[in-house]
Amino acid sequence: MQQETRKRMIKESAIWGFIVLELIFFSVAGHFLSLSENAFMDFENMLLLLKQSAPIGIIALGMTVVMINGNIDLSVGATFALAAVVMLDSMSWPIFAPLGDWVIPVSWALALLTGMVLGAINGFIVWKTGVDAFIVTLGSMLGFRGLVFMYNGEQPTFQLNWTMVDIAEARLFGLQTPTLVLIVCTVLVWLMLNKTIHGRNVYAVGDNREAAVNAGIRVGPHMMINFIIIGFLAALSSVVFYSASGSVNPNDGMLYELWVITAVVLGGTKLTGGKGSVIATFGGVIAIQLLRKGLGHIGADTAMVNLVIGSILIAVLYLDKQLNRKGDGDLKV
Amino acid sequence: MKIRKTLAATTAAATLLGAGSAFAQDPYTIGITQNNVGVDSYQTTYEQAFIAAAEKNANVETVVLDAGGDVARQIAQMQDLIQQEVDAIIIWPTNGKAVIPAVRQAHQAGIPVIVTNSNIAEEGFDFVASFSGPDNITQGARAAEIMCDRFKDLGIADEAQIVEITGQPGYTTAIERSDGFTQRLPEVCPDVTLVESQPGDWNREKSQKVMEAFLVKYDDIDGVYAGDDNMGVGALNAAKAAGRAEDITFVGATNFAVGYEAMERGEYWGSIYQSPVDDAEAALQTAIDVLEGKDVPFLNYFDTPKITQENMDQFTKPVF
Repeated sequence: MQQETRKRMIKESAIWGFIVLELIFFSVAGHFLSLSENAFMDFENMLLLLKQSAPIGIIALGMTVVMINGNIDLSVGATFALAAVVMLDSMSWPIFAPLGDWVIPVSWALALLTGMVLGAINGFIVWKTGVDAFIVTLGSMLGFRGLVFMYNGEQPTFQLNWTMVDIAEARLFGLQTPTLVLIVCTVLVWLMLNKTIHGRNVYAVGDNREAAVNAGIRVGPHMMINFIIIGFLAALSSVVFYSASGSVNPNDGMLYELWVITAVVLGGTKLTGGKGSVIATFGGVIAIQLLRKGLGHIGADTAMVNLVIGSILIAVLYLDKQLNRKGDGDLKV
Repeated sequence: MKIRKTLAATTAAATLLGAGSAFAQDPYTIGITQNNVGVDSYQTTYEQAFIAAAEKNANVETVVLDAGGDVARQIAQMQDLIQQEVDAIIIWPTNGKAVIPAVRQAHQAGIPVIVTNSNIAEEGFDFVASFSGPDNITQGARAAEIMCDRFKDLGIADEAQIVEITGQPGYTTAIERSDGFTQRLPEVCPDVTLVESQPGDWNREKSQKVMEAFLVKYDDIDGVYAGDDNMGVGALNAAKAAGRAEDITFVGATNFAVGYEAMERGEYWGSIYQSPVDDAEAALQTAIDVLEGKDVPFLNYFDTPKITQENMDQFTKPVF
């Protein structure tokens, strides 16, 4: 029994062990290689790390839900961009002119609504057609990106509002706004997955769809809700990020789906569904951002960063597979 | 640990000796975040030249970063550089508007920001110490001089007719290169007439079509001015197909490899030489000058010389 618990702990904490390894490595390497006077483990630097993890991290929470559910969403990057376009463009709509700075929450709400509508479209198609979510969202990834380009051509959409920038850069208890949003969302999604019926059903449907249907779960609407959740979170991530930068290029958010999926998979969520945890996803996000930041800290270039992250992804999955085999004790090569 | 101690020792020495000797000076740490190294050879050459220039200068240490075209990553890199407390930041903006708040953060942290190659939007000018890059107005004006000198040599400066193919409408670069040319031309060659100007959108095929239309419309074209050599060569191809390339002087506003090759073949007359090496060295020098408290103009242009068939042996072929 005790051995079982220990095994489970090793499996689930693989990502945390990896993070500790990264921290040690970059602290030591940074000592010799970095030009910075500050240590890598500097408190401010760690706060910055959390803040920089937010854009990918918030979306990754939603992706965890969808992937546990046995689906995937490739359209998050395009949703991210389209929500930003709606948010920044709506701020200059004449009908909102009398609102003054109160246009900010209105534009935020419009952006979040956009994300939910796009998610609902994905979910509705998956529900009604029964086509695999991979194909559906591959199509909507292209389609939503097309909408972004139709909106403003190749031009960036731009709205610099210093009030909004100040809100986005504000600090509460020393934590910056994006960090707070990330932490609050992580807690909420964790509660949803672990303490609600809907959350239990997410695992049940992902584990065995037929059994879930037999158990009386309405799988179609259930999956649609999850797609609305990820759409909302992709838009929320966009709101948090673009409030601080104020300008979106039509190409922004490209490849975000891949970074998000990388983070979720690093956190141990199964591509086949049924297993996973948002806390571990949080770890996966931190691990990626640590790598990016750490390699930058010791002076590696972007190409090297991508190469290392790619290699580590495969290594972690291999390790995970080994641990699980040993844990299950059934597969012998 | 050793590095730290040496650094501390040098700092102490510098304090003792005073700032008089450059040798004992604490080296400046300059961070650079580039747009997208590897997407074209201009940017790749720029990075190599920047690193080489920094290595030659004992007073400078650099943190060289690349945003890979991703605005979010560039903003994160700006924050990292601020956090690392570098002495100055050089930025090649991925998006001239989205980086403004990050530039403001650096400004608020007391770190001077130097924008390189292409400037950020006007709203951010207050937070920028200096812009280092090419001057497109001058490039246009010099192209007009090249064109005029050629017409004088050919003896047609009193009656020549020319057409212009501009870059993509709305782009500052396109507008400035056109303005520089059209303002300078009547000053040097008042009798040359610019009969029509059409956009070629920086695209060779588009430019070729525009030129085909020009050739049908006008029986007498003596010169073509293009916003860059890519479009200039498109126009050249159209003229060759119509058998009229021999009579036309082709001049571009920025020399590309295709233009250089056409010049070697004697088909294309001249352009303006914009070197990524000069661009990178100018950015580093601007940062150093700002740190040393020198009086640096807000728009700090580097020189972009004329290149024609006559002097092209002094220049290596552009890498882009």
